[in-house]
Amino acid sequence: MRRRSLLLQVGVSVLLLAFLALLVNNLAVNLLRTGLGLDFGWLGRPSGFALAESALPYTPSDNYLWALTIGWLNSLKVIAAGLVLATLLGVAAGAARSSSNRLLRSLAGGYVAVIRQVPLLLQLLFWYFVAFLGLPETPIGDLIQLSNQGISLLGMPLSVEFCAVLTGLTVFTGASIAEIVRGGVNAVPRGQWEAFRSLGLSEGLGFRRIVLPQALPAILPALTSQYLNLAKNSTLAIAVGYADLYAVSDTTITQTGRAIEGFLLLLISFLLLNLLISGGMAGINATVLGRMRRSR
Amino acid sequence: MTVAIRATDLVKSYTPGSRALDGVSLEVASGEVLVVMGPSGSGKSTLIRTFNGLEKLDGGELDVLGVRLDAAHEERPVCEIRRRVGMVFQQFNLFPHLSILDNITLAPVKVQKRPKVQAEQRAIELLDQMGIREQAHKFPAQLSGGQQQRVAIARALALDPEVMLFDEPTSALDPERVKEVLDAMRQLARDGMTMVVVTHELGFAREVADRVMFMDQGQVVETSDPASFFTNAREERSRRFLSQMV
Amino acid sequence: MNRWLNRSVTLVLTALIGWGVWSVLHWLLLAADWQVVVSNLPLYVVGSYPVDQRWRPLLWMIALVVLIGFTLLGPRRGPLQRWLPLIWLAMAPLGLWLVAGGMMLEPVSTRDWGGFTLTLLLTFGSGLLALPIGVLLALGRRSRLPVLRLSSTAYIELMRAVPLIAVLFFGQLLIPLFLPPGLEINRVLRAVLAFAFFAAAYIAEDVRGGLQAIPPTQREAAAVLGLSEWQSLQLVVLPQALRIALPSLTNQAVGLLQNTSLMAILGLVELLGISRSLLANPVFIGRFLEVYLWLAAVYWLACTAMALLARHLELRLDPLRSDR
Ligand SMILES: Nc1ncnc2c1ncn2[C@@H]1O[C@H](COP(=O)(O)OP(=O)(O)OP(=O)(O)O)[C@@H](O)[C@H]1O
Ligand SMILES: [Mg+2]
Repeated sequence: MRRRSLLLQVGVSVLLLAFLALLVNNLAVNLLRTGLGLDFGWLGRPSGFALAESALPYTPSDNYLWALTIGWLNSLKVIAAGLVLATLLGVAAGAARSSSNRLLRSLAGGYVAVIRQVPLLLQLLFWYFVAFLGLPETPIGDLIQLSNQGISLLGMPLSVEFCAVLTGLTVFTGASIAEIVRGGVNAVPRGQWEAFRSLGLSEGLGFRRIVLPQALPAILPALTSQYLNLAKNSTLAIAVGYADLYAVSDTTITQTGRAIEGFLLLLISFLLLNLLISGGMAGINATVLGRMRRSR
Repeated sequence: MTVAIRATDLVKSYTPGSRALDGVSLEVASGEVLVVMGPSGSGKSTLIRTFNGLEKLDGGELDVLGVRLDAAHEERPVCEIRRRVGMVFQQFNLFPHLSILDNITLAPVKVQKRPKVQAEQRAIELLDQMGIREQAHKFPAQLSGGQQQRVAIARALALDPEVMLFDEPTSALDPERVKEVLDAMRQLARDGMTMVVVTHELGFAREVADRVMFMDQGQVVETSDPASFFTNAREERSRRFLSQMV
Repeated sequence: MNRWLNRSVTLVLTALIGWGVWSVLHWLLLAADWQVVVSNLPLYVVGSYPVDQRWRPLLWMIALVVLIGFTLLGPRRGPLQRWLPLIWLAMAPLGLWLVAGGMMLEPVSTRDWGGFTLTLLLTFGSGLLALPIGVLLALGRRSRLPVLRLSSTAYIELMRAVPLIAVLFFGQLLIPLFLPPGLEINRVLRAVLAFAFFAAAYIAEDVRGGLQAIPPTQREAAAVLGLSEWQSLQLVVLPQALRIALPSLTNQAVGLLQNTSLMAILGLVELLGISRSLLANPVFIGRFLEVYLWLAAVYWLACTAMALLARHLELRLDPLRSDR
């Protein structure tokens, strides 16, 4: 038995290694043929392309590494805003789906049913080309000034591209979060609703203080994976020309031809992003569960 | 008289420092019905699960139908034993995605390579014998517990085993369902099957068992014929156990 | 709920919905121009496929629609029902043959594949490829052999960490680099491979969830009957695990169909790609809303049909409801 599994183990390792070796060998041959080797020196060279928006000062004479960093920050910006807004929208829609108002309930249900069955990319294009570029050229509104040149929120200027990506991600992810919230809420026994109603608590207060806290342990893990999805989906920003990490990487690779290095950098950046998100969520998870345990 | 199972000084420990089996020796003659009793956690399940290699031994030696097993055994003898020894679990363990008929014919067709038609014929016979012929095309979840357990017995019998192991086959059943399963087992014993039965059914033990073995804390406390075990058990521990049972 | 609050919510919502309906009607009746959709229907369906050969993809799609109808509405018993899963599996190679040609049909280059045909081919092809890879990865991740377990885990986790668009982009760039020199594969095939490699990692996690849900007593019962480990996996554990994983696998399939739209960014002219090139045509300038609504309807229908089919399959496979 043990001998056999050892043999199997060795056999599998050899096969895997052989396969990897074949791939690496092909890679080496192809790289030699095309005269490219693994090299990160180009990161220090000036990029030569402009970026539509940057959180920190950036000019085309800055190097590729800095351009990628700006892209990463842009990604972070839209992801962070998206996380917050999608959560708010999702929780609201999820709550609406268990509301006693029939109209509200079916509206939320319709929202989820439509949004989840239509590709995110199509939705992004809609928000960009139809909703935001369809705004009038001269600003309308007061506190929020809307125009197809950009949005100004309380004096803070936001680009149209940013707004389109943010809206698209929020609406799309919000629908998934609504489903998760509904699932979690449905798992809370009906008796809890009757209990807070019989105590005279209002529907909203009861939902927030009684039902949601009990549903959270089931909701949080699924929420984490939705957040990770949102982060990954934010790369579709390239379709509307928002200069996020992926868009900058894409331009960089097209200019330098450094596909493998570019892929490695992107992989590392995303591992970092995922780590940030799941780390943050693990923290929230621990606090929430800890507080619930203490309050028992 | 030939010996079907001979166990010598079996030792099994799941966690270091505690022993689920602590030097168990016994013999089961072929055609014999041995009933194993004992308090919860005394090692009854562990014992009969070593008989077909579901639990690995940590010490001692087993001889099942002439095949030897010990702490260092290889996979091969276990396969042979499993082909010749049937087992019925407390929780039935039927395959929920297969019909009753497919549950029974799976092993004969896939392991023994019997023709499908012949295996199905045999399965129907066995279901008939168990009194549940009309359930053949249903699925496990559509049957009562007693019916499921009889299917499980039929499934084990379909391989024509020489020994049958039962681990508390009636413990998960409603009281009114227990009898139908015990009746099936009684018939099996009458037909001369070698059986090792872990059960708390005193009536069954008294009537069907050739010998009763009492275990406690991984050890055999006493083995005697049912009449003397139930009227005057030799050991204090057995008597205490029996008094709590009634 | 407080009766006044309830009433005012209803009132506000009614007003909102009324306003929405009014503006949609206004747009539909006064502003919308469906020329961009109507006059280009063949493009949306088959792309720039040679006109005299269009019957081939059309035939395939009609066969698909008939099959969907038969599966959902057809009789529950009968000789055909037993072969239904196989017929479904056969639809992918059939579609490939009809569209690509060869073997009695005139070959059509992948450059001419497009529209909804290409969307469906990408979905079917990569889904069919991803499922076995995903199952193997799931088994690998639960294997006792450390090499297998670690490499499967690493693959799954890395693949799930990166965005799909990156996998597709680098698939186009990198797959050729890993192939022996001289062996070239076309863009569509590269896309199918990249999709499959990506989806397999997610499928693996769904299947692993199913595997974990099977109680160990099922393996025991199989072992006791003398089934080998491989037989127990194939006959007892996997069928149950896949059944449990079916709802999440459905979500993956729907996701896959939606995600084929990403190939538009990389220049394939599947349903979204062809629309983008149409919108770039000066004749149809600014007709975004019409095109997007039309596409949304098509995707929505396709995804909903898929979900319905899966739901149907789920019910049929449920041993409690099925009566053979
Ligand atoms: N898989 C396991 N891992 C660790 N310990 C175990 C395991 N199975 C059994 N044990 C321990 O071994 C001892 C014997 O257990 P066993 O199941 O054989 O008892 P039993 O006599 O069958 O009890 P019961 O009447 O409750 O079924 C117990 O102390 C139990 O806790
Ligand atoms: Mg037991």
